[in-house]
Amino acid sequence: MSAAPAIAAKAPARAEGHALPVAVVCLAILVLWYIAAIPMNWVVTGPKIEAAGGGLANTLAFSWNEARPVIPAPHQIALELWKSVFGAKPWMPKSLIYHGWVTLSSTLLGFLLGSLLGIVLAIAIVHVKFLSKSLMPWIIASQTIPILAIAPMVIVVLGSLGFTGLLPKSLISMYLCFFPVTIGMVKGLTSPETMQLDLMRTYNASSAQVLWKLRFPAAVPFLFTSLKVAVAIALTGAIVGELPTGAIAGIGARLLQGSYYGQTVQIWAALFMGSFIAAGLVWLVGVAERFTLKRMGVRP
Amino acid sequence: MAGPVISARELSLVFQTADAPVYALSKVNLEVEEGDFVSFIGPSGCGKTTLLRVIADLEQATSGTITVNGMSPQEARLKRAYGYVFQAPALYPWRTVERNVGLPLEIMGLDNAAERVARNLDLVNLKGFEKKYPWQLSGGMQQRVSIARALAFDPKLLLMDEPFGALDEIVRDKLNQQLLELWGRTKKTVVFVTHSIPEAVFLSTKIVVMSPRPGRIIDVIKTDFPRDRALDIRETPEFLAVAHRVREGLKAGHSYED
Repeated sequence: MSAAPAIAAKAPARAEGHALPVAVVCLAILVLWYIAAIPMNWVVTGPKIEAAGGGLANTLAFSWNEARPVIPAPHQIALELWKSVFGAKPWMPKSLIYHGWVTLSSTLLGFLLGSLLGIVLAIAIVHVKFLSKSLMPWIIASQTIPILAIAPMVIVVLGSLGFTGLLPKSLISMYLCFFPVTIGMVKGLTSPETMQLDLMRTYNASSAQVLWKLRFPAAVPFLFTSLKVAVAIALTGAIVGELPTGAIAGIGARLLQGSYYGQTVQIWAALFMGSFIAAGLVWLVGVAERFTLKRMGVRP
Repeated sequence: MAGPVISARELSLVFQTADAPVYALSKVNLEVEEGDFVSFIGPSGCGKTTLLRVIADLEQATSGTITVNGMSPQEARLKRAYGYVFQAPALYPWRTVERNVGLPLEIMGLDNAAERVARNLDLVNLKGFEKKYPWQLSGGMQQRVSIARALAFDPKLLLMDEPFGALDEIVRDKLNQQLLELWGRTKKTVVFVTHSIPEAVFLSTKIVVMSPRPGRIIDVIKTDFPRDRALDIRETPEFLAVAHRVREGLKAGHSYED
């Protein structure tokens, strides 16, 4: 019994050990940001500061509270985030929750499609020898094309076929995120050792049995690593997909509007919203990973 | 049962490599009778593992003939005639002990899986470890799980490729004894690859001494120790005489020269 409190006491100690460095880094970034805001905003705020008589107090007041700054101060972004998240009804276009949801839904659809495509391609490549030579170059080439160059084409072509809204954006997400899944899964599906494969041969197992009982379980850790990358770039894909269409909803639309009207604070708030969503998605994949690996009996 | 379990005639296997062909097996002749415990012993590169893999159809001979249960090795493999134990346990880490042992049963679609798994885990003295994952077991226990897995579908022939090679002497002695008991109880035919002279002499009814470059058989020694032998027979003059003959055979094959 005496061991139990000792173990319990260990956990918070470890948590503290992480909290301090994280806090220090965050604080350092904030301080640098506030300092950098002064010279960066000078173009806009310089004349106002001079007109008000200069001095440190005026410099700080103007540099950090400009309505259309080159770079807004962190508290301005926080305030804008607060207003647009909690100050507006979530279904209204003024709300960042609304825009976030629009982007999130196409991200999730694209992520789902991309992951499935990635897994199917990997299975095909591992099983059909000539595919690894004939298909791989195309897969790699597909990723060397800048997404910004083809996104408008995809949107326009699909739009002319009658597909608008969620699907075209999701397809751009899919286009970006199948790639890490394919690469990771090819690696994972070929990761079993010769002995483990020979064992299946001695049982005269079919290739479907080898796939589901050996290759796929062995690939699961690789799959989750790929999915973390994939989910983050699926979000990027969805945002990029919103840019060229003049979409009126979504994080991308919010960024575009902000840049039309010089609303830098709004741009930054939307950017932060996007990264919060990305962080949340990556975290969720991590949770799913830990859960799955635990179910698979992986050594803790 | 009519005829030998394994019969090889003038069996050769040549690996084509970039610079020169490697004669892994050269004109091997061998008979294994039902109920035999046959050991292949020799230094590395003598083809003992290759010969076992040819029997298992994991490797194909380039010339000569070989039959397993009167069939070609491929037919025997397709009929799931043998259980194979590898140099390493090769357990699937995401499966518990019982699910690892049950793997061949799942693949072959055999019934009574639960009963078979329990019986074979009992046979290797691993009752109570059903729900453990491989990483929770010692190396010796893992290899016992892999033996139970090889026995799970009740093959008459057990092929073992240096199964205890990676274990320490003490664990190895214990497993050797357990393997003998298991062999006595199940009346399987066992083909066992090793590079340990005491292990080969202690376990076998027939010792096949092999030599490298080209891989060939240089001596076949029959022993007549009782089936339920204990570890202390290793100190008897008869045991030492057989071990001496194995050592002489290995020497004659120039296996110590390089």
